[in-house]
Amino acid sequence: MVFRRLIGYMKPHSKTLTLAFSLLILATAADVAGPYLIKVFIDDYLTPRNFDRNALLLLGAGYLMLYVASAFLNYYQLLSFHKIAQWVVKQLRLDVFGKVQRLGLAFFDRTPGGSLVSRITNDTEAVKDLYISVLSTFVQNIVFMIGVFVAMFLLDVRLAAMCLVLLPILFALMQGYRYLSSKVYHLQRSKLSVINAKLNESIQGMSIIQAMRQQKRLRGEFGTVNHEYYEAGVKSIKLNGLMVRPAVDLLYMLTLIVVLSFFSVKSFESVVEIGVIFAFLSYLDRFFEPVNQMMFRLSQMQQALVAAERVFELLDEDKWAPGQDARFAGTSPQIGEGRIEFRNVTFSYDGRNDVLKNISFVAEPGQTVALVGHTGSGKSSIINLMMRFYEIEQGEITLDGAPLGAYTDEELRRKMGLVLQDPFLFVGDVKQNIRLHNQDITDEEVVEAARFVQADGFIQKLPHGYDEPVGERGATFSSGQRQLLSFARTMALNPKILVLDEATASVDTETEEAIQSALENMRQGRTTVAIAHRLSTIQDADLILVLHRGEIVERGNHQELLAMEGLYHKMYLLQQGGVEQAG
Amino acid sequence: MSIYKDLLWYFKMEKKSYAIGVMTLLMVSLLNLIAPYVIGVIVDEIAGATLTGEALVKWMGLILAAALAIYVLRFVWRIFIFGAAFRLSRLLRNRLYQHFTKQSPQFYHKRRTGDLMAHATNDISAIELTAGDGVLTLVDSISMGGAVVIAMAFTISWELTLVALLPMPFMAFATSRYGAMLHQRFHKAQEAFSDINDKVQENVSGVRVVKAFGQEEPEQGEFADLAEQAARKNISVARIDALFDPTISMVVASSFFLAVAYGSTLVVKEEITIGQLTQFTALLGHLIWPMLAFGWLFNIVERGRASWDRVSALLAVEPDVTDRDGARDETPSGDVTFDIAAFAYPEKETAALTDIRVELKRGQTLGLVGKTGSGKTTLLKLLLREFDLQDGDLRIGGTSIYEYKLNALRDAIGYVPQDHFLFSATIAENIAFGRPDATMEEIHAAARLAVIHEDILRFEDGYGTVVGERGVTLSGGQKQRISIARALLMNPEVLILDDSLSAVDAKTEQAILDALQAERADKTTLISAHRLSAIEHADLILVLEDGRIAERGTHGELIEQGGWYAEMHRRQQLESLVAEGGNAHGVPTSDRVYEATQ
Repeated sequence: MVFRRLIGYMKPHSKTLTLAFSLLILATAADVAGPYLIKVFIDDYLTPRNFDRNALLLLGAGYLMLYVASAFLNYYQLLSFHKIAQWVVKQLRLDVFGKVQRLGLAFFDRTPGGSLVSRITNDTEAVKDLYISVLSTFVQNIVFMIGVFVAMFLLDVRLAAMCLVLLPILFALMQGYRYLSSKVYHLQRSKLSVINAKLNESIQGMSIIQAMRQQKRLRGEFGTVNHEYYEAGVKSIKLNGLMVRPAVDLLYMLTLIVVLSFFSVKSFESVVEIGVIFAFLSYLDRFFEPVNQMMFRLSQMQQALVAAERVFELLDEDKWAPGQDARFAGTSPQIGEGRIEFRNVTFSYDGRNDVLKNISFVAEPGQTVALVGHTGSGKSSIINLMMRFYEIEQGEITLDGAPLGAYTDEELRRKMGLVLQDPFLFVGDVKQNIRLHNQDITDEEVVEAARFVQADGFIQKLPHGYDEPVGERGATFSSGQRQLLSFARTMALNPKILVLDEATASVDTETEEAIQSALENMRQGRTTVAIAHRLSTIQDADLILVLHRGEIVERGNHQELLAMEGLYHKMYLLQQGGVEQAG
Repeated sequence: MSIYKDLLWYFKMEKKSYAIGVMTLLMVSLLNLIAPYVIGVIVDEIAGATLTGEALVKWMGLILAAALAIYVLRFVWRIFIFGAAFRLSRLLRNRLYQHFTKQSPQFYHKRRTGDLMAHATNDISAIELTAGDGVLTLVDSISMGGAVVIAMAFTISWELTLVALLPMPFMAFATSRYGAMLHQRFHKAQEAFSDINDKVQENVSGVRVVKAFGQEEPEQGEFADLAEQAARKNISVARIDALFDPTISMVVASSFFLAVAYGSTLVVKEEITIGQLTQFTALLGHLIWPMLAFGWLFNIVERGRASWDRVSALLAVEPDVTDRDGARDETPSGDVTFDIAAFAYPEKETAALTDIRVELKRGQTLGLVGKTGSGKTTLLKLLLREFDLQDGDLRIGGTSIYEYKLNALRDAIGYVPQDHFLFSATIAENIAFGRPDATMEEIHAAARLAVIHEDILRFEDGYGTVVGERGVTLSGGQKQRISIARALLMNPEVLILDDSLSAVDAKTEQAILDALQAERADKTTLISAHRLSAIEHADLILVLEDGRIAERGTHGELIEQGGWYAEMHRRQQLESLVAEGGNAHGVPTSDRVYEATQ
C-alpha cells in the first residue's frame, strides 16, 4: 500500500520517468555491447590475424563512441532520477506541511512538536533514496536477471531449470530480511527520536540544568539514550551481516558447488563442452551480482518504507481544523456589528469529560464580557470554541445571528483579534512580528499599533528599532516585551471582536496600566470577550460570567454579582484574606 | 582524504577493532580467490577427463569450507569496523552533548535548536559513514585493486599493465575535482535542510498564533520556498554526484581499449598469447568494482569532511563562562555584594547595567522593581554567572564569585527563572530536579512551601503526573509554583525569584512569601517583581531604570521619598481600592474555596 502510494507520487513526472528509464535501458545496452565488440575483435580479427585497417578503425571508433554515448546516457539517466526524487520529496513535504496547517488544535494537543518536525523533514528525506536508487536498481537488475535466465535456458535446459530453485530461496531470503529489518529499523528510528527529544529538551532547558548543576546527571541520561541507539545500530549490523551480502555470496558458492558437481558428474558419463561450462559459470556470476545489488538496496528500501509509512500516517490524519461549514460553501457573510451568542454549548476535548456544560450567553455589539474562574473551569475552552479552534458537538455559537460555521476562515481571522497567554515570536524582525505575513499592513500602521499598546517606547530604544532582529522564540526579549509585541500584532489587524486570553500576566504595573487604557480605547465599538486577571478590569464589564467546572454558576455585572453575595462575592472576601468571615 | 587524518586519533583509540576488521577483510579477499582457482582446476580436469569422484568431493569440500569461512569472517569484520564507526558516533554525540552543557545562554541565543540538533544527528551520521563504509571501501578497493594489478603485472605483462593503467591519473584528478565541488554544494544542501527544520519547528510551536491570525497560507508559501530551495540545492549536488559513475566507466572503457589495442601488438609480436590477453581483459574487468568504489569513497569522504568541519567548528566554540584558574571549590556563603561599574551584553554597545552598588547582609531579602527591560533580570543573571561582568565585581561572603568554581557558585544559588521550564517527567521528578536523591517527604515539603501541594494532589496521578511537552498542560501559575518548589528543595544559600510570582494570585503569593520568610530566616533571597506586594517586605528595595538605581530603600523609606515607587504603590493601591480592596491579581487556583461555598 505504502509502496503503491509512493509510486503514485511519480505520476506528474511520468515523462521524465519514461525518459530516465529509456536512457537507463539504452545505457545498459551500450555497457553490454562493449565487451561484445572486444570479443568480436579477438575472435574475428586478432585470432585469425586479419588486420583489415578500415574494419579495425570502425570497430575501435565504434567502441569509443559507444562508451562516450553510454557516459552521457548514464549521466542524464542518473540526474533524471535525482531530479524526480527531489521534486517528489518536495511535493511530499508540501503535502504533509499543508496537511499539518489544516489540522485542528485537537491534533496538536496530543502530538509532540518534535515528532512532527521529524516527520516533515527527516522522514521525507529518507524516502528520497527510494526514487533515486532503489527503483532504478530494481528495474535494471530484474531485466538483467531475466536476460541471464534466458541465456542459461539456451545453454542447458535441465541445469537452468534446477537454478530456478534459487528464485524462491532468494525471495524467501528477501522477505525474511524485510520482516526482520523492518523491526530493527523501527527500533532504530524510535531510538533516534528519543535522542532528538532529549536534545531538544536539554537545549531548551539548559539554563535550568546549569543553574541546578545537573549537567553530569543529564550527560549520563543522554549517554544511556545514546547507548541504546548504538545498540539498535549494532543489531542492524548483525542482521545485515547475517542476511545481506554474506548470505547471498554463501548461496552463490553453494550453487557453484552444485553446478560444478553437475558438470563433473555429467563428464563421467559423456563429453561436456568446456565452452558451455564457462558460459554457464559466467552467467551464474552475472546472476548473483544483480541479486547482491538488490539486497543492498533492499535495506534502503526498507528504511524508506518505514519512513514513508510515518509520513502517510500523518497525511491520513483526519483531525481537521474546523472550517466553513459545507452548508455555507460559496457564501461569504461578513461580520458586521459583532454580536456573539452561545446557545446551550456543551463541549469535551476527549469525548468523555465535558469541560463546558450547557453554556449560554450573549455579548451584544460593543459589550465586554469577562470570564472568571479557576484553572480548568472552562474559560479557555470558551475562547477556543469561539475562535473555532475546535468543533462544537452540542449547542450553537452564532455571530451576528449566523452560525459560526457560516463564516470563512479568512473572515473570522481578520475580524477576531486574539491575544494569547503565551506570547510567541517568530524569527525575523520586530516589524515582521507585528505585521506577520499581511503585506497590506503598512510600516506606519505597524508603528501606530506599537504606539497604541505603548510598545513603541522600548522598540525605539532597540539598536535597530523596528528592524531589530528577533531570534528563536524571541529569546533576547524579556517576557514583558514579548507580550507587548504580541499585543501590537493583534492591534495591527484592527479586529471587530477582541478576544483576550490571560494576556496580562507579566507586564509591569506601568505598562499594564498603559495597556489597560489602550484596551479601553480598543474596546470602543468592539465586542470583547476577556479572561479576566485583575478584577479592576472587570469593573466596567457589561457581563461577568463566573465559571466553575464547566458551568456558568453566576452572571451579571460587578455590582449585581456583589449584591448577589454568592461565589463572586466570596471570592472577593477570600482575596482580601477574609476566609473566616466567608466560611 | 584529509578527513582520515582528522580522525586518526579515533583510529588509534580503536586500533584493535580496526586492525582485526581490516585483517579479516583482507582474509576474505584471499579466500575469495579459492573458488576461481578450483573452477580452473576442475575445468582443466574435465577437459582432460582426469577428474575422479574422490577429487571432486575434495575440491567441493574446499569451496564449501571457504564459503563458510567467508560467511563468518564477513560477519566478523562488519561487527568490528561498523561497530567501531557506530561507537565513534556515540562518542561524538556524547561529546557534543557535554559541550552543550558547558555553554552559556549567549551560545544558545546565537543558534537555533533545530540546527544544533542537526549537528548531533545528521552530521554525526555522515561522519559515521566515513569511519565505517568509508574505511571498508578504502581497504576493499585498495586490496582488491592492488591484488588484480599485481596479478596482471606479474602473470601477464607489466608493460601491458602500465599501458592499461594510463587513464588512471585522469580518474584520480577528475574524482578529486568532483569531490571538491561536491563539498561546497553539499554544505549548502545541508544548510537548506537546517532551514526547513527550523521553519517547521517554529511553525509547530507557534501553531496557535498561526491559526489565530489565519497565517496558514503564507506559512505554506514560505515553507514551499524553502522546500524548493532545498530541492534545487540537492539537485545541484546531484549534478556532480551523477558525474562519478559515467566518468569512471569512461576511464575503464579507455583502459580496455588501450589494453586490447596494445595487447594485440604484443600478441602479434608473440610476446603474449591470445589466451593471456583474454585473461588480462578478464582481470581488468575485476578492476571496475574497486574503481567505482573509489569514486563512491570520494563521495562519502567529502560528505564526511563537510560534516566533520561543521561538528568540529561547533566543538571548538569555547564556553564563554568558565572556571578561572585556581578557583575555589567550596560553596560560597555570606553577605552578597554587587559592585558593578557597568555591564553590557556581548556584542551590544549600550550598557544594560550601570553603577549598581549594593550590599546585602546574609539573611536579608532584596527586592528589585522597575519597568520592563530596566535590567532586573540582567542583574540576577550576573549573579548566576550566565554572563560575566567585565567592569566591577560581585562578591559573596567578601570573595569575588569569579574566584569560586561555577559548580560551587551554583550550588549556593537556587534559581526560579521568568520562563518556567519543566521537563518531560513526573511532577515529583521535576521538583527533585536539582536533587534527584530527595525523599518523597522532602519533595512534599518543598511543594507545600510553594503552595502547590494541594493542586498536585488533585491531579489524577498526583506527584506521578507527567508534565512537559508530552504531559498534561498546567496553568502558568502552577508551573511557576512547581519551579519555585524545585528551587526550594535545594535549600540554597541564595534564592533568586525572577518575577516568579506573576501568575499566582495575591493570596497564594502571600502564603509563599510567608513560608519563605519563616524557612529562610538566615538565608539571602533576591526577588524581582512587577507587583510591589511581592517585595514590600524586603530589607532593601531597588528601583531600576535603564539599568541604573533610580531609588533605593525599604518600603517605608521609598514611600516617603515620593518617587516612582511611591507612585506605583499608590496606583496599585488605587487599583485595589477600585476593586473594593480586592487585591486580586490572579484567579484563585484553589478548589477549596468553591467547595466551601457549595
